[in-house]
Amino acid sequence: MYKAIVFMPLIGFLIAGLFGRQLGTKASQWITTGLLVASAVLSMVAFMDVAVGGNTTMVHVANWVSSGDLNFHWQLKIDALTAVMLVVVTLVSALVHIYSIGYMSHDDHNPRFFAYLSLFTFAMLMLVTANNFLQLFFGWEGVGLASYLLIGFWYKKPSANAAAIKAFLVNRVGDFGLSLGILAIFLVFGSVTFDVVFAAVPAIAGQTFMFLGMEADVLTTICLLLFVGAMGKSAQLGLHTWLPDAMEGPTPVSALIHAATMVTAGVFLVARTSPMFEFAPFALDVVTVVGATTAIFAASVALVQNDIKRVIAYSTCSQLGYMFFALGVSAYGAAMFHLFTHAFFKALLFLGAGSVIHAMSDEQDMRKMGGSRQMIPMTYIMMIIGTLALTGIFPFAGYFSKDTVIEAAYAAHTGVGEYAFIMAIVAALMTSFYSWRLIFMTFHGKARGGEETLKHMHESPPVMLLPLVVLAIGAVIAGFVFSDMFVGEGRFEFWGAALFVKGDDILESIHHVPTFVKFLPLIVSILGFIIAYKFYIKSTELPAKVAGAFKYLYQFLLNKWYWDELYDFLFVRPSFWLGKFLWKKGDGGVIDRFGPDGFAAFAMMMAKRARSVQTGFVYHYAFAMLIGVALLVTWFMFTRGGF
Amino acid sequence: MSATLPDLTPALPEIFVACAAMALLMVGVFKKDNLLKVVTRLGVLSLAIAFVIMVAKMPGLDRVATTFGGMFIVDGFSVFMKSLVLIGSMAALLMSQQYLIDRKIDRFEFPVLIVLATLGMMMMISANDFMALYVGLELQSLSLYVLASFDRERQRSTEAGLKYFVLGALSSGMLLYGISLIYGFSGTTSFSVLSTGLANSENIGLVVGLVFVLAGLAFKVSAVPFHMWTPDVYEGAPTPVTALFAAAPKVAAMALLMRVVLGGFPTMAADWQQIIIFISIGSMLVGAFAALVQTNIKRLMAYSSIGHVGYALVGLAAGTVQGVEGVLVYMTIYMTMTIGTFACILSMRRDKALDLDINELAGLSRNQPAMAFALAVFMFSLAGIPLLAGFFGKYFIFMSAIDAGLYTLAIIGFVASVVGAFYYLRIVKIMYFDEPAAKFDDNEFGTMGFIMGLTAALNSPLSFLLIYPLLGLAGVAAASLF
Amino acid sequence: MMIAFTFYLFAAIAVLGGVMVISSKNPVHSVLYLILTFFTAAGLFVLMGAEFIAMILVIVYVGAVAVLFLFVVMMLDVDFVRLKEGFLQYMPIGATIGLVLLAEIVMVLISRSADITTEALSHVAQPTPEGVTNTEALGRILYTDYIYIFQAAGLILLVAMIGAIVLTHRKRPGVKRQVIADQVATRPEDVIEVKKVRPGRGI
Repeated sequence: MYKAIVFMPLIGFLIAGLFGRQLGTKASQWITTGLLVASAVLSMVAFMDVAVGGNTTMVHVANWVSSGDLNFHWQLKIDALTAVMLVVVTLVSALVHIYSIGYMSHDDHNPRFFAYLSLFTFAMLMLVTANNFLQLFFGWEGVGLASYLLIGFWYKKPSANAAAIKAFLVNRVGDFGLSLGILAIFLVFGSVTFDVVFAAVPAIAGQTFMFLGMEADVLTTICLLLFVGAMGKSAQLGLHTWLPDAMEGPTPVSALIHAATMVTAGVFLVARTSPMFEFAPFALDVVTVVGATTAIFAASVALVQNDIKRVIAYSTCSQLGYMFFALGVSAYGAAMFHLFTHAFFKALLFLGAGSVIHAMSDEQDMRKMGGSRQMIPMTYIMMIIGTLALTGIFPFAGYFSKDTVIEAAYAAHTGVGEYAFIMAIVAALMTSFYSWRLIFMTFHGKARGGEETLKHMHESPPVMLLPLVVLAIGAVIAGFVFSDMFVGEGRFEFWGAALFVKGDDILESIHHVPTFVKFLPLIVSILGFIIAYKFYIKSTELPAKVAGAFKYLYQFLLNKWYWDELYDFLFVRPSFWLGKFLWKKGDGGVIDRFGPDGFAAFAMMMAKRARSVQTGFVYHYAFAMLIGVALLVTWFMFTRGGF
Repeated sequence: MSATLPDLTPALPEIFVACAAMALLMVGVFKKDNLLKVVTRLGVLSLAIAFVIMVAKMPGLDRVATTFGGMFIVDGFSVFMKSLVLIGSMAALLMSQQYLIDRKIDRFEFPVLIVLATLGMMMMISANDFMALYVGLELQSLSLYVLASFDRERQRSTEAGLKYFVLGALSSGMLLYGISLIYGFSGTTSFSVLSTGLANSENIGLVVGLVFVLAGLAFKVSAVPFHMWTPDVYEGAPTPVTALFAAAPKVAAMALLMRVVLGGFPTMAADWQQIIIFISIGSMLVGAFAALVQTNIKRLMAYSSIGHVGYALVGLAAGTVQGVEGVLVYMTIYMTMTIGTFACILSMRRDKALDLDINELAGLSRNQPAMAFALAVFMFSLAGIPLLAGFFGKYFIFMSAIDAGLYTLAIIGFVASVVGAFYYLRIVKIMYFDEPAAKFDDNEFGTMGFIMGLTAALNSPLSFLLIYPLLGLAGVAAASLF
Repeated sequence: MMIAFTFYLFAAIAVLGGVMVISSKNPVHSVLYLILTFFTAAGLFVLMGAEFIAMILVIVYVGAVAVLFLFVVMMLDVDFVRLKEGFLQYMPIGATIGLVLLAEIVMVLISRSADITTEALSHVAQPTPEGVTNTEALGRILYTDYIYIFQAAGLILLVAMIGAIVLTHRKRPGVKRQVIADQVATRPEDVIEVKKVRPGRGI
């Protein structure tokens, strides 16, 4: 069954990718989608099996590497953590496949698109079912590749290509960290299989090594390297710049990859390696601070963005920050819970946004929307549900997971925990504001779009609405239903050995936080709603005034804290300069001149010489032969000296 | 007094070919109408029968048979090389017909001469005595001189024949002088005796004799500096004859060279290795550089053949079983490449005349995609691009050189093949990227197409499947020389 | 002593004649010098006891080949002076190389010739047996031990013949040939035509 779950998307990819042209659009769509749906159904069965039955297993696929000390196999590790990810990945992927049938109906390259989607799903499944670090790395790179292909899907659009390359390069930085981490793990532990490594962690903890004259903790270093990888994939502060640009890809891609699945790979990685992080407290603190800072940073940027997808992208970035600081305070269950619920409502928001964009004739700027709630009522309702879930209103999914995360930060009772808590509360306020701002600007007020757009505006077809409904149901009930299992009393039974916590169980202590902590998130969410309502419904001239009053702050946020400019100045331009220097001066001036060009000139000279010897006169030729013989004889007379 | 008849079994293929040649001659002489086609087919048939006889009467993979007082030897090596020669000659025969008819020189003597030349080559390969070597060599050479000037109405052809003849006579003179020196200093012409009983092999007289002998043989394989005739003769001779030159006699002369140095002078390895290294380096460099400025494809192939002989000699210079194995594999692959290339060249026809300027190949990929593709395969293979057969040939040769410690030779060979790659790839570039020139005549898919397709397949990455069986055969053949 | 003297005399004349063949201006003289060289070479063979080869050399080379050469040279209108134009230009370097080679070969031949002879002689076949003429001895081995070489030589001559015919023989249309068989087979009807002649008109 597990093999079927993992390999059905691959089969879909191969069929659509190799024979897409022959099969045609319809067949490719239905084959890939059908396989994905089957995979999703099986995943749910698997989830039940693991969650209720508690059956964790190991499925052997093939012997992979057996070389010297390096010895590991291709196995599917199935435990609660994997089961959760399986459900999230296959379910969202299946829904996105279905949704795409409608969304991509005007595109000419449907088989290719569906092939890529299936490829991505397969790679993601490889990642989450990994039994060792290398297998994980394979999936990790696979999703990177698929993401690159999908962001650049509209390859005729220069901005899409640029975004794809940017995503690839930034991820490369993270991947470099991850691969260094894996190499270090092999060096230190002599194995890359999870169980072997985790079992050996306590023995390694506390060991140090010398680097550039400084003493560094081995385990901390490894964990930080792994975390760099996680930061790249999960768009944490510093390596986040690719995520907003990645919105150049088709919207279903954004929903699948950049909201629900791939970006959560980092969270999954840290949760998976919790036995290692637990013994590296400093690394955990770093995770907490980075996560919290990302949460507030991304939320603040989202306040002023006008592109509907970018707002959601920054929102994703921010929510990932939540997950990370939850991990940082050892509340792994809470992080995974938030990951789980977030997948539902963020995919819902993205697909809803896609529906809006579809209705608006591919318009993404919120300033040109508005007043559309009567025309696309279903989409409107879905978006409202998604927003309620995101802002954490009871009893929507976000309420349960987000509150748990925030309370965990408070309950940690550490310096970084306090920091994370404060940031989380402020970010929650901002989240509420920008989410409602999005709703109000898109659906309420006057219609600001052009005549043409309004005339063509239409509700999306059922094939697109169906996934929205399914996700909406998830966004409503997922928190309520699974709360107990993920973070409540059933958590020990559910997670089993998948997650490891060394000290006190933080999820226990969240029951003992003060009451104001429990209600603060809810209060700031409502506050955010009120402010947004004031700004965008009541007195619509207010935003411009505020922006004018805090001009520099506004510019700072609008330009995303100038991260892109900073990177441009620090990395892009110097590397361009270096590249140009090496190309013009180094390669052209030195290597070419004395290498290929010089050699070519020499060769031509030799060739002309050889030709001039070839006169065509017989006696010249005979003469050459005689000279040859004379040379050889003379040579032997001298070397042998035989007389 | 009585004399017993020598055992004729080992020489049966040669005897058959000789009788067949004479029979063909009779058929041609006594039939009134022109019989080129019939005689050609009969010629191919008799060579094929000779091949069958040879394989059937083989003394066994690792057995040696000698006859005629030890002058004639049959072993694994000779069978391997003769197979190559027979195949090369048959291919050349098959490819010649159309050209001869177009040029109106379709006379039945042509196939007869090719069969006789082939007989000479077979005798060379089986020679185990300097006298046998010389008669075989002369039989081959004389036939080839005549073939080179076969198109006697064309000045270039007669000039080529005459040049080849004069220089060939000079080389024969050198060879004979060397043989006489060796005979004078050792008292024998038999390789078997030479290899065992040279007590004072230190003698400089033998070395000088060997220099002259090798000079004569180097002329036949067209190694530098005895190569000067090659471009002129290749260019001037009728194209099917050039195809034959590039394939069969080269293999035979190479076999002879190996037989002489390994069969006759294993005790003087240190000496002849120096000579081989010298001519090998020269050939590789000249073959690589001089070809750069050629515009006539036949001339280009002449330089190409000089270069390839240089590479093959690298394996001989190593002087090991592995090296000889490499040479045998190399010659096999080289022959398939050459035959295929010439099949393409012979198809470059406009109004029934060959057009041999390289630039005329422009845009061939659009006019005649199949032929362009085949030619591209040959060029890549000749250049030694990995995965194609030519690469394997070079690979084994250079590996054997490195194993024998001949690093300089391997490095020069590598540099030369990089330079050489330029002109092979230039042809591919002209075919695929230049503006199309006028179209060549259409060739129906006949003999030519078959030869092209077969050799292209043998050179394609499919050769990967064949290279190990080939290596096995070459290994057995090479072992019989030591 | 006498034999040695005769040998060196013949050898010197042979070398001198060879030089004159290539250096004399008149091609007819060249051929005559060639004949001289052949003669002296025949003398050398006689000295070595190979009288059959000596006679063959005189009969075939002098009597046939050289005379043929002479006719050809006299009949062909070849401007030898022009052909030799480039000759002098390369004379110095050519002479140098030739001299170097010559010196080296001489050095080879005079070095250690004594200890070589014994070994070389051990390989040589038996001398001519007593009571058998040179010619008969040659005949005995030519068709037995050396049958292979002999037959091969025959093939070479065959090729030479084919070559000569291929390169020179031409079918000339418009030339009448006498074919006896055709003449004999001719019947009156084939060659005689009866025509009626009208008076006063002619044929």
